Amino acid sequence: MTQAPPRPETAGTPDPVDVNALYADHITIRFGGLVAVNDVSFAIPPRSVVSLIGPNGAGKTTFFNVLTGLYEPTEGAVFLEGRDITVVPPHRRAAMGLARTFQNIRLFNLMTAEENVMVAMHSHLRSGIMSTVLRLPGQRREEREARDAARELLEFVGIGKAEGELARNLSYGDQRRLEVARALALRPKILLLDEPTAGMNPQESELFNQFVYRVRDEKDLSVLLIEHDMSVIMKVSERITVLDRGNLIAEGTPDDIRNNQQVIEAYLGKTGTREGRRRA
Amino acid sequence: MTTTLQRPPATGRGPRRSGPGAVARFRWPAGYVVVIVLLFLLYQSILPTLVTPVANGIASWLPVATINECLMWAIMALGLNVVVGYAGLLDLGYVAFWALGGYTAGWLMAAPFNWTWNVHLATAVPGDYPGTHINFWFVIIIAGVLCAILGIIIGAPTLRLRGDYLALVTLGFGEVITQFFRNSNNIAGLNVAGGDGGISSIDGIGTGPFHVVDKSVPQALSIDSTSNTYKILVLGLLVGVCIFVSLRIREGRLGRAWLAIREDELAASMMGVPLVRAKLSAYAVGAFFGGIGGVANASGITGAVSPSGFDFGKSVLVLLMVVLGGMGNVWGVTIGAFLLAWLNGNGLKQIGVQLDSWFGWGAETWLPRYNFVILGLLLVLMMLFRREGLIPEKRTKALLRTPNRTEMESVGADITEAEAESEAAEANSGDDAAIASAARDVSPVLGQAPSARDDGADGPDGVVRADGAGTSDGTGADPAARRRDETGDVSR
Amino acid sequence: MTALAIGGTNRKAKIRLGPIVERVLGILILLFAVYWIVINAIDGPDQFVGSVLVGLQNGALYALVALGYTMVYGIIELINFAHGDLFMLASIVAANLMVNVLGVGDLTTATILPLIVALVVCMAFGAFVNVSAEFLAYRRLRTAPKLAPLMTAVGLSFVFRGIAQQDYINGSTQKNWPVNWGGPIIEGVYVYKLLLVLVVTIPLLLAMTYIVARTRRGKAMRAVAQDQDGARLMGINVNGTISFTFALGGALAGAAGVLYFLVQTQTYYDTGTQLGLIAFTAAVLGGIGNLTGAVVGGVAIGLVQALNEGGAHGLGSNWSQSLVFIILIVLMVFKPEGIFGRRTTEKV
Repeated sequence: MTQAPPRPETAGTPDPVDVNALYADHITIRFGGLVAVNDVSFAIPPRSVVSLIGPNGAGKTTFFNVLTGLYEPTEGAVFLEGRDITVVPPHRRAAMGLARTFQNIRLFNLMTAEENVMVAMHSHLRSGIMSTVLRLPGQRREEREARDAARELLEFVGIGKAEGELARNLSYGDQRRLEVARALALRPKILLLDEPTAGMNPQESELFNQFVYRVRDEKDLSVLLIEHDMSVIMKVSERITVLDRGNLIAEGTPDDIRNNQQVIEAYLGKTGTREGRRRA
Repeated sequence: MTTTLQRPPATGRGPRRSGPGAVARFRWPAGYVVVIVLLFLLYQSILPTLVTPVANGIASWLPVATINECLMWAIMALGLNVVVGYAGLLDLGYVAFWALGGYTAGWLMAAPFNWTWNVHLATAVPGDYPGTHINFWFVIIIAGVLCAILGIIIGAPTLRLRGDYLALVTLGFGEVITQFFRNSNNIAGLNVAGGDGGISSIDGIGTGPFHVVDKSVPQALSIDSTSNTYKILVLGLLVGVCIFVSLRIREGRLGRAWLAIREDELAASMMGVPLVRAKLSAYAVGAFFGGIGGVANASGITGAVSPSGFDFGKSVLVLLMVVLGGMGNVWGVTIGAFLLAWLNGNGLKQIGVQLDSWFGWGAETWLPRYNFVILGLLLVLMMLFRREGLIPEKRTKALLRTPNRTEMESVGADITEAEAESEAAEANSGDDAAIASAARDVSPVLGQAPSARDDGADGPDGVVRADGAGTSDGTGADPAARRRDETGDVSR
Repeated sequence: MTALAIGGTNRKAKIRLGPIVERVLGILILLFAVYWIVINAIDGPDQFVGSVLVGLQNGALYALVALGYTMVYGIIELINFAHGDLFMLASIVAANLMVNVLGVGDLTTATILPLIVALVVCMAFGAFVNVSAEFLAYRRLRTAPKLAPLMTAVGLSFVFRGIAQQDYINGSTQKNWPVNWGGPIIEGVYVYKLLLVLVVTIPLLLAMTYIVARTRRGKAMRAVAQDQDGARLMGINVNGTISFTFALGGALAGAAGVLYFLVQTQTYYDTGTQLGLIAFTAAVLGGIGNLTGAVVGGVAIGLVQALNEGGAHGLGSNWSQSLVFIILIVLMVFKPEGIFGRRTTEKV
């Protein structure tokens, strides 16, 4: 496993692994000869709302996949609450508290809303085959508690009435809510939201902003948003990281980002024209 | 489209406890018990009293032996249903477990290859018989466990791969198991399982259950091993247990995980479901049932095992039972197994006889020969026109009827995304060098990133900080923190 | 400082045993295979030469069948279980055509004409059956969940087997045909057999590579394989292209059928399943979807199998199916993407 070269501990600079809920250290990802993400370091402090943005093709999704464990980085390491999770498989990361939603909603369509949430409790439940078949008291209690917890979560995201509905029959907005409820069922420390406002109108986006902070405060976790739409992110994030063509070009508060020359260029300047060419 | 799964949006504790479903829930189990008991009574008491033409009609269309075969196949179909129907894994070598179960019975319930010792355990076989003779019920458990272990061994390397590869590996596994038993008379010089001849004269089911050694038990309990009628009860009980386990298991944590995997493997793993473990357990449970089926077949139906009986055709037959009945639906699968086992065993011939009596085609001989063609066509037609089976599972109906639109869309979107990304990366490294160098001009730090990383002394390295690299006084510069200062300083 | 602490860390990355163990094991297995081949060559050089010749001969056949698997998989991600059985049907057609219709007995130079006729007929037959299957079944299932076309293929495979089992077709036992080979024999291998196989196979493989790499049709095939919707938007006839792919695969299976019959001089309804499994393993070995890979994989498996059956340290033909299966399993564990394939990950 590759790693950053050890550096002398400088006074006043705490080790980012210790102070952040999640820390990605010098991540590089190559697909064959293509460098999709180039030496990007990234941190999610505890109880924060941060975002990762960038124009199409910036490497956001690839980077995101490294965080969730779908890809193994070519170089670099990922730490969750001080533990190295670079090679931990996705399901274990989920159990450790890294929950996500999907850009293109990926619910279990033919399961009810309640079952969807309960699937995500898998790693917290213990009962095995025998106790399930015999329906031992422990298993029954566990199931009951899980079901209650699932309903609570559905209430929390505002679709308490939909518990018995098949996920596929929910409205688009409710499906997004269900995805969040499902992710919260993992009792995450970090919630990764992949383009959560896609397809929302401005009012819904506004509500969404409030919702993000409510989740953060009530569930005591950090939120990472991935977006390509700047306007949404500016309102909701505490800090923003900008990727462009695999490189980290800026990191800072929304105000900083707004005034950053490179970000403006990435969004409006050269990349814009090239995309224009491609579309033509 | 039904929108709810028979569950009112009540606030009660469990859906299974909320009234209206209760009667419906016991309809099928009660029906099953009634059918088994009726069948038993039919052959035990009613048939001898009927007039000859009716009795003969029943005996030729539905002989007792065929009923037993149907029940045995139902065990197999229920097992495969766990793998294919619940977890969505296509297993084309299911016959392997059937074979191993059968051979376990051969090893533990017979005297193969002139074994001279005689080990007896709670069995009705006379004590001076040579060989190993262990009670049927113990053998069932042993065979099930053995098959589950084999399933795990074979599944572990392959289950982490794509589903269609699994189909092929299992197909190969089914072939190899047969080959193993075919060569089994000389494995490193040892006769393990009798080679082509297999093992014969395996103890019947009847020598097991209640009739230990003592002949004084009432006749209804001390089952005569030659009586096919009593086998209905024994096999019926086994099928009942399999149904019970299938139904229970799908309602727990594991069953949910299987359903989730069937629908969206990736999403399931992202929700903390360990894919390989969950799939392995489905595979192991299926194998367990397969082992039971194998013992039931060797001990209850054929009384012998030989490699030629365990061909690819049997795997497909079981698969077809699952598909015909309705993947995932326990009752559907049971009925599918009954139908096809009957058709394959006795039905085709009987239909041929009937056709002959009407038209004189000689169909009695040629119709059964087309069973492969008929079964294959049936599978194709089912897939084309009624993928959900005769008695569809409520969910599967929707799953198989309509293409999964969201998935299609997501695939499309992913491709665009991936393309855009690789294109951008290409541009980055290749012909758009001008842009890259321009970017370097704008940001000297970007160009120096590696070196900055090396000397490492100047704090946050290699990263352009919008608030100026190295400025350590960002306290007031964070609007989000200002806006919601009640949440505290985000960066600490 | 309140800026994010992203300055780098002193933590040492964990050393992972898994990949190392996997690599070491993989290398050990590879070394063992090489060792096995070498001692076979040393201890029984004559048998070794014979086995290599047989391996080449069978490997070329496997390659032909493997190409059919790999092309269909490449374009619609379907393991065409019926492909092996199509090949088996073709071998029966070839046998009946050459022996019963064209009266071939002893093989001489005069057999070339019947051979060409049989090749043309069987390739047409294979293409026709495969395209019909696609048109009648797979095409309707293109938007269905993956399990459906897979099971349909299994069903068709069953139908083909069932047809071949009929007494008036081939019967349920092996059928030996009165076809006799002459000419020189090296280490038990008829030189002409090997030559025939190579003379037919190599041009076919070259033609296939040319079609896929150079022609418009080939370009369309590659486009459809990547993105059906995209290809459709670019004006490519997707259905036609997929049919064309099935036709190519079927034709190759047809040719393989003719060669198989001539080489083995017997036909059997179960050949399809056995050889199909071997050929698919070959396709996976080479990297599924990769044409060169299928050919290399086919020849490699042919060689290993021949060494196992004829080499000084082989297990014998009783175990050849098991050996191929073990290769398949080892592949799945250590290199599921094959020799030439690329590892793919699902994107989110």
